[in-house]
Amino acid sequence: MFDPYYLQQLAIGLSQGVIYALMAIGFTLIFGVLNVVNFAHGEVYTVGAFAGLLLITAFAPPFLVVLFVVLAVGAALGFGLERIAFKPFRRFSDEASLKSRAMRESTLMSSLAVSIVAREGLEIAFGSQMQTLPFEYLINKPIAIGPVTIVTGDVIIFVVAALMLGGLQYLLTKTRVGLSIRAVSANPLGAKYVGIDTDRTIVTTFAIGSMMGAGAGILVGLYYGAIFPAMGFVPGIKAFVAMVMGGLSSIPGAVICALLLGLSEGLATTFISSNWADMVAYGFLIVTLIFFPQGLFGAGRERV
Amino acid sequence: MSLLEIENVTRRFGGLVAVDDVTTRVEAGELVGLIGPNGAGKTTLFNLISGFTALTSGAVRFKGAAIDGSKPHVIAARGMSRTFQNLRVFPNMSVFDNVSVGSVGAMGQSAFAAVFGRRGRSDAISARTWEALERVGLAEQSEELAANLSYGKRKYLEIARALAMRPDLLILDEPAAGLNDSETAELARFIRTLNDDGLAVMLVEHDMNLVMGICSRVVVLASGRKIADAEPAVVRADPAVLEAYLGVDE
Repeated sequence: MFDPYYLQQLAIGLSQGVIYALMAIGFTLIFGVLNVVNFAHGEVYTVGAFAGLLLITAFAPPFLVVLFVVLAVGAALGFGLERIAFKPFRRFSDEASLKSRAMRESTLMSSLAVSIVAREGLEIAFGSQMQTLPFEYLINKPIAIGPVTIVTGDVIIFVVAALMLGGLQYLLTKTRVGLSIRAVSANPLGAKYVGIDTDRTIVTTFAIGSMMGAGAGILVGLYYGAIFPAMGFVPGIKAFVAMVMGGLSSIPGAVICALLLGLSEGLATTFISSNWADMVAYGFLIVTLIFFPQGLFGAGRERV
Repeated sequence: MSLLEIENVTRRFGGLVAVDDVTTRVEAGELVGLIGPNGAGKTTLFNLISGFTALTSGAVRFKGAAIDGSKPHVIAARGMSRTFQNLRVFPNMSVFDNVSVGSVGAMGQSAFAAVFGRRGRSDAISARTWEALERVGLAEQSEELAANLSYGKRKYLEIARALAMRPDLLILDEPAAGLNDSETAELARFIRTLNDDGLAVMLVEHDMNLVMGICSRVVVLASGRKIADAEPAVVRADPAVLEAYLGVDE
């Protein structure tokens, strides 16, 4: 029979994967619509965590209030980010420039710049060390399930991720804004000439994607009890890897690959050593790029 | 007051005058053709009308209100709808969803309705969508992915998406491109039925025959200038038009 130790590692890997998935959803949503990588997504995650921290230290509200305020902050961040780092480069609104290389390259740089400014700004304001969090807010109370012990955070993160993913599917397929997002990602010019406000659709997409990023930030911060200015960097990279593996614009693909990444990192930690965990992620990326250049779930699907 | 009034419209790109002082109009319920050889400025004029390119000088009025400087989606929502020469359908969405985008676009998106308005339940949206699908004969294939339709059917899908906006003016950009003779004839009949129901149509075409066959008036552009604006029979006999199309031996 299985050693419970392995099941335990599997559970840890799975919860890690769910965290990557939360990040990857926002990343992929924005890529699907604009065809650009948003390098500031990791900092949205960090700023979301810090917003929650400030709220907790100032008012100590209930957990759900913290979560909803952080989601609102995330939406605002997405709005601001799009206006600062993306919209100025979208000077012409035809499809060629909306999805052109120049647009892609300049927003790669501008979103990277925003991410550096945000990270360094937080370091100046708070210092680079981990912030102390009130113990009662941490979501790491153990729950024993047979031989395996998980913590409350595993359950909360899983439930929130499932709700976000389900909510997003509902939004994309059943609502008008979702229809607009899908139309803009399929053909912005076609959408524009039948009355869809592409600018507003794009900024809405950023708000939704960043909401998820910020939500992931505060959840992970409370899960590990660690909130610090550089916390968004590694999850940002992992979410990027998951997005590429999933086929760049497939949200379900990115989620599956994020879970796969988390699980295999957990297994690598168990069987090799924790130092090798990151190697697994990058190894997967290289193998995917060589053998499945379209991504594992890439070809012939609807974007977003 | 004409439905669409184009007054002394000029557009320069650097030293190139793509559209040079063009004045014309489209009346409500009219079927007008816009033709000209390659590079005549048809596409630029089209882009000026639909808000895609800014005017250098002149004015464009739609239903009596100036629309130059308005964004394309605003102009579209006011009742001017278009299709594209190289189709711009949404390939991996269903036929129904493709046309729904037109319905949603036309009904405006108040912030609340845009986020919380449910598409499936909204009777007004699905009524518009079904009406447009039935009009072009695609109702049976509403659940099919647009990518799986034949090229000809995708043209009708794009027209349905435009019709779902219930426009007052429909602009068709080279609709016959890529169709064979019998398909073109069928399309011509279809455009006529749309026009018979009172919809004003502007047909931008490279090829003269379709335009001459169904339009009541034809505007001819050459090198950015309007060289003719009359009934098909008059245009066909116009020496300036013949020269622009065929060249003249000196």
